[in-house]
Amino acid sequence: MTSSQTIVADRLAHATSELSPAVTPNTPAGVTLPCTHCGLPTHCEAGTHPEQVFCCAGCLGAYQLIHGWGLEDFYALRDQMKLTGAAQAAGRANRYEQFDQADFLGPSKPVALNDGTCRAEFAIHGLHCGACAWLIENAAAREPGLLSARVKMSDHTIGIVFDPAEIRLSQVARLLDRLGYGLAPIDPQRDDQVQQENRRLLIQIAIAGFFAANAMWIAIALYAGDYSGVEAEHRYFLGLIGTALGVAAVAGPGRTFFVGALASLRTWTPHMDLPVALGLSVGTLVGSANAIAGRGHVYFDSLATLVFFLLIGRWIQFRQQQRAARAVDLMLRITPRHASLVVAETDQAVESEKIVLVDTLQLGDIIRVAAGEHVPADGQVVQGRSNIDRSLLTGESQPMPVCSGDAVAAGTINLTSPIDVQVTATGRESRIGRVMQSVEAAATEKTPIVQLADRIGGVFVVAVTLLALVTFAYWSQVSLATATAHATALLIVACPCALALATPLAIAVGLGRAAKRNILIRDGQALQQLSGRGVMWFDKTGTLTEGRQRVSTLQGSIEGLRLAAGVEASCRHPVAQAIVLDARRRGLTLPISARLDRVANSGVVGEAEQQTIFVGNRQHLEQHGIVIEAELHRRLEQLAANGESPILIAVGGVVITLLGLSDPLRCGALEMVAELGRRGWSMGILSGDHPQIVSGVAQQLGLAPERCFGGLSPEEKLAAIRESRHVRQTVAMVGDGANDAAALAAADVGIALRGGAEVSLQAAPVFIASGQLSSLVTLLRGAKATTRLVLLNFALSLGYNLVAVGLAMAGWISPLIAALLMPLSSVSVLALTLAWRSFEETAASQSQASGALGERV
Amino acid sequence: MSVLYVALPLAILLGAAALLACIRCIRSGQYDDLETPAVRMLIDDKKTESPQ
Repeated sequence: MTSSQTIVADRLAHATSELSPAVTPNTPAGVTLPCTHCGLPTHCEAGTHPEQVFCCAGCLGAYQLIHGWGLEDFYALRDQMKLTGAAQAAGRANRYEQFDQADFLGPSKPVALNDGTCRAEFAIHGLHCGACAWLIENAAAREPGLLSARVKMSDHTIGIVFDPAEIRLSQVARLLDRLGYGLAPIDPQRDDQVQQENRRLLIQIAIAGFFAANAMWIAIALYAGDYSGVEAEHRYFLGLIGTALGVAAVAGPGRTFFVGALASLRTWTPHMDLPVALGLSVGTLVGSANAIAGRGHVYFDSLATLVFFLLIGRWIQFRQQQRAARAVDLMLRITPRHASLVVAETDQAVESEKIVLVDTLQLGDIIRVAAGEHVPADGQVVQGRSNIDRSLLTGESQPMPVCSGDAVAAGTINLTSPIDVQVTATGRESRIGRVMQSVEAAATEKTPIVQLADRIGGVFVVAVTLLALVTFAYWSQVSLATATAHATALLIVACPCALALATPLAIAVGLGRAAKRNILIRDGQALQQLSGRGVMWFDKTGTLTEGRQRVSTLQGSIEGLRLAAGVEASCRHPVAQAIVLDARRRGLTLPISARLDRVANSGVVGEAEQQTIFVGNRQHLEQHGIVIEAELHRRLEQLAANGESPILIAVGGVVITLLGLSDPLRCGALEMVAELGRRGWSMGILSGDHPQIVSGVAQQLGLAPERCFGGLSPEEKLAAIRESRHVRQTVAMVGDGANDAAALAAADVGIALRGGAEVSLQAAPVFIASGQLSSLVTLLRGAKATTRLVLLNFALSLGYNLVAVGLAMAGWISPLIAALLMPLSSVSVLALTLAWRSFEETAASQSQASGALGERV
Repeated sequence: MSVLYVALPLAILLGAAALLACIRCIRSGQYDDLETPAVRMLIDDKKTESPQ
């Protein structure tokens, strides 16, 4: 028993509490590698095979399952898709029984098919890219009884066909859960409007395309006829048919521009639809009159093509926005939708549990929250004691102990043991619901910035109309007919098709490219605002730091760590997890005969290798009669001054190890701060965490301490943002907690990082799905490039229009020049937009991932 | 050249038939998801032996 001898020797050596200073200060012989399954940076020993790194048991389980099926290609495919999304395998496999109950399923209830099989459709969470769809579909093919599974990436649903005699839905749900995907019944209020709108837009494009293509070949026949000679009778016929097509294009799919123009006239807000509608109507009227009269130019080909191009631009924009909005929507389901209701039986002694929808909970109901679950509603603990992770609400990195009588809030996580909660508020009335409401309020108080293109569009209409009048007045000295011809030529040729395309197209392409870089942008305005410089506020927990406790200092015996890890192995508390992780990282073999005896709020008591182990803070050890000497006190205070939380480990009644726990900086944080500083952004921290910890982080990052605030409530954060908005600069907020939601909405640009709470996404127009801080730099660069592109497009299309208007006023516009200028301006804007390089890889993100799918857009 | 009076409406009719087919496709939902099918056809043929 060499190990027990070592313990005795250790204990003797430390009997006088002389802890050897910092055996291994920060990082031991270890490296940080991405987890093979989810890509989360994980500390492991040097020399570990890069494909054998797992951050948690869930990822290891998913990896083994995938290997067992021979589906290793998933990883290659996923890496090719270049996504490091964390497929979070939640350990709630036993929560799927209700999938066999019809009233739980609602609209997802299986429909029996003729051949005895059933079909059902579900919403699925955790999809990242095509590799996920492939994995699910292939895994389903290997499961007996599951006949087919078809994933729809666009709306995150899955349609399955199964044999009810062979497999139950709960088994399907469990299978997908093991792979890291959550299944949920389709929301009854799921809006099919988006799908309907998408189809409607596509049909409009198809119709406009049909008219444009046919008008085009008739136009070719006419132009060819002008050169090689054509009978007047045929020319008249072609002109008439072509005009009919052009008018149909304007009256059919082009109607939407007239609707928009009317609306903008009614509200007196300038809009791009206005000049477009003006150009279209003048072109249609004059073209039709000319066609019927059989003289002059007919503009039908330009009209049809214009409608076609503009509709395509609209559809691209619609799709990109929907994509971002949907991703945000999917992330919003943070509070669980089901609760386990405790029903008292008639004899009052027996209790049973029933799974119910949260919406049906009544005030005063008692619900049971198992360890590791989200609390579904606000309430008061009536039975049990546990620790609650409230980082979602308050940003505190330390868990809060609760016992009978304490209040708990919806959305927080119950960490250690089951508790019974009496419901005091649900849904919008709960604390998180109220935060969401203040988000909505903060979002509406912003003054909407009218898009530059729309403003120009308004000016444009006035200017063009005035110029047309001037032209008419000037040429009427010659003859009335000439004046009319030149003025209408001006009105048509000045139709700002390129101008109308310029902004939406550039922004839509920018949004699409950003999405390929895992940056989802809901609102194109954000790009405009991020292109300059301003103030950027950061949340601390989960944004600048990892949001997870990690052992950063170890003083004294490493044996203490080993024994403590053995005792804590079965505990879900973050401190316990940090201790176990650190022991694994140091390659320690955990004692086999370890037992966890008691879990208190301040620490644990257990037994390992026939010795009693105490792990906890000072109070915990003193409660159990362990003497803490003056020297140790000094060390404890020193650790606290460094922003670390001290944890003591006592073996057999003597303290042998002192651990300092802290929340380390995320990788890339230092580089990001440096790069933002170079770009002229001023930065600060708004955190709910302890001010001492915040100033520690600020010091590490080199941020000015007067801009870093700790101990803020959500309301105080909001106030800080509002205050900084008085300065005429863009105010951006980067965060991921629910406590940031109001601040994210109040800032000019809210940027939500994944990895923390996803509630903030509703408030933030920008969502960085990769969760990497380097994406922030990519975002800023891309925003600048996109804004430049918009301005360049403007210059280009305005240049065309200026030349065209000049020519028309001089009376030089021949039908050929008009026909050349109009499509050429649109095409050049299109070409420039597609060739423009925005959202390039930054050096930092390049080093992080090797694949490059995003090159093509 | 009077064949034009037959050929042109005929060509437009043929185009219109294609347009109707396209609209039917859109209505039936074939264009709802433009991402998954692209990936599916790329990879499926590698491992098709399904136990069922």
